[in-house]
Amino acid sequence: MPTEATPAPAEISDADLVQQCQAGETAAFDQLVGRYRTRVFGMIYNMVHSEQDAWDLAQDSFLKAWKSIGRFRGQSSFYTWVYRIVMNVTIDWLRKKQVKGTGAEFDDAIQLKEIDPASRTAPKAGALPHERMQDKEIRARIDAAIEQLSPDHRAVIIMKELEDMQYHEIAETLGCSIGTVMSRLFYARKKLQNILRDVYENV
Amino acid sequence: MKTFEEKWTAWVDGQLTGEELEEFKAALPDLATAELEREDSLKLGNLLREKIGVRAMTNEEFFHHQLRTAIEQDARETAPLARPETKVRETWWSIGRLAWTGAASLAVFAVLSFFVLRDSNVGGQSTYLTQIINARVDPAVSPNATISIFETKEDRVTVVWVDGLQSLPSEYAAK
Repeated sequence: MPTEATPAPAEISDADLVQQCQAGETAAFDQLVGRYRTRVFGMIYNMVHSEQDAWDLAQDSFLKAWKSIGRFRGQSSFYTWVYRIVMNVTIDWLRKKQVKGTGAEFDDAIQLKEIDPASRTAPKAGALPHERMQDKEIRARIDAAIEQLSPDHRAVIIMKELEDMQYHEIAETLGCSIGTVMSRLFYARKKLQNILRDVYENV
Repeated sequence: MKTFEEKWTAWVDGQLTGEELEEFKAALPDLATAELEREDSLKLGNLLREKIGVRAMTNEEFFHHQLRTAIEQDARETAPLARPETKVRETWWSIGRLAWTGAASLAVFAVLSFFVLRDSNVGGQSTYLTQIINARVDPAVSPNATISIFETKEDRVTVVWVDGLQSLPSEYAAK
C-alpha cells in the first residue's frame, strides 16, 4: 500500500487518532489531515491538473472520510483507507466532467481502436518541439498526455508509476481484479508512449 | 489464464519469471521489437517519476480552516436529524411490553365477556313461562279459558294470568 508518513516516536499513532475521531474528537481528525493533506492534494492534482479542483476534491475527500470514519475498522492503515476514498471521489468527478464535456478522449473503446499493442511503428504524436525542453514544458506535455487517458487509466498509471503500488493494492483501491489493473496499465502505457515518445527519448 | 496484456504488463514490471517468461518470449512474433517496447515503457515510467513531483499545497492553514468549517456545518445539519430518530426509538414499545399488553387485554376481555354472558342468561326467557305459553288448554275441558301474559323486561317480571281454567294441565301440575 502507499507508504504512510511515519509519525515521530512522541507523536500519537494514526490508529489512536482514528479512535479519538470515532469518539467525535474533531481535533484528532485535524491532526490526521495535517499529516496527509499534502500527499492527498498532490495525488489529486496529478489526476485533475487543476489546483482549484484538486483543492475542492481534497476537501470533499477528507469530509467524506470524516463522515464515514465511524465505519473504519482498522483493517488497513488510515492512509490506505483515505487513499481509496480520494481515488473514488476523484474518478467520480472526472467521469462527471467527462459526461458534461465532449468526453471523446476518455473513451476506452476509442483508445483500444487507436492503439496497436505493437505500437513501436505507430506514428509519433506531433513533431519534436526542441532538443532540450524546459521542465515546465515537459510537465505540461505530460499533464496533457495524462488528460487524454480515461479516469480509470489515469488512476492506475499514477498509482503504479508515482505511488509505486503493487497490482493487488491498486485492485483493492479501485475495487477491480488484478487482471483488469494489468490490462488498464497496458493500454495506459501504450497511449502515453505514443504521445510522449519524443519527450522521453530526448530528455 | 492470463491475457496477452496482463503478461506484457507483468513482463514490463519484471514480474514475469521462469517458465512463464520463457513461454511469453517464445510466443512473441518479434522479440527485438518487443524488447524496445519494454524499454520504452521503462523510460516512460522514469520520465513520469522524475518530472511529476508532488505538487505542494498553497495556504495549508486555509485548507484546514475550510475543512473544519465544513465538518462543523455537517455536524449541525446532521444533529437535528439524529435527535427525532432517538425520540422515536424511545416511544416505540419493546416486544416484551407489547406482549404483556396484549395478554392483559385478552384477560380483561375474557372477564368482561364472562359477566356479560352471565347477565344475558339471567335476563332470558324462563323455562317456566315457556311452559305456560306452550301449554295447550284443552277446549273440551276448559272451553272458557283465557290466558293473558304481562311482561316487563326491565324488571325481569312476567305475569301470566289464566282465567276460566277448569283444571291445570297434567304436565304442569306435575311440576
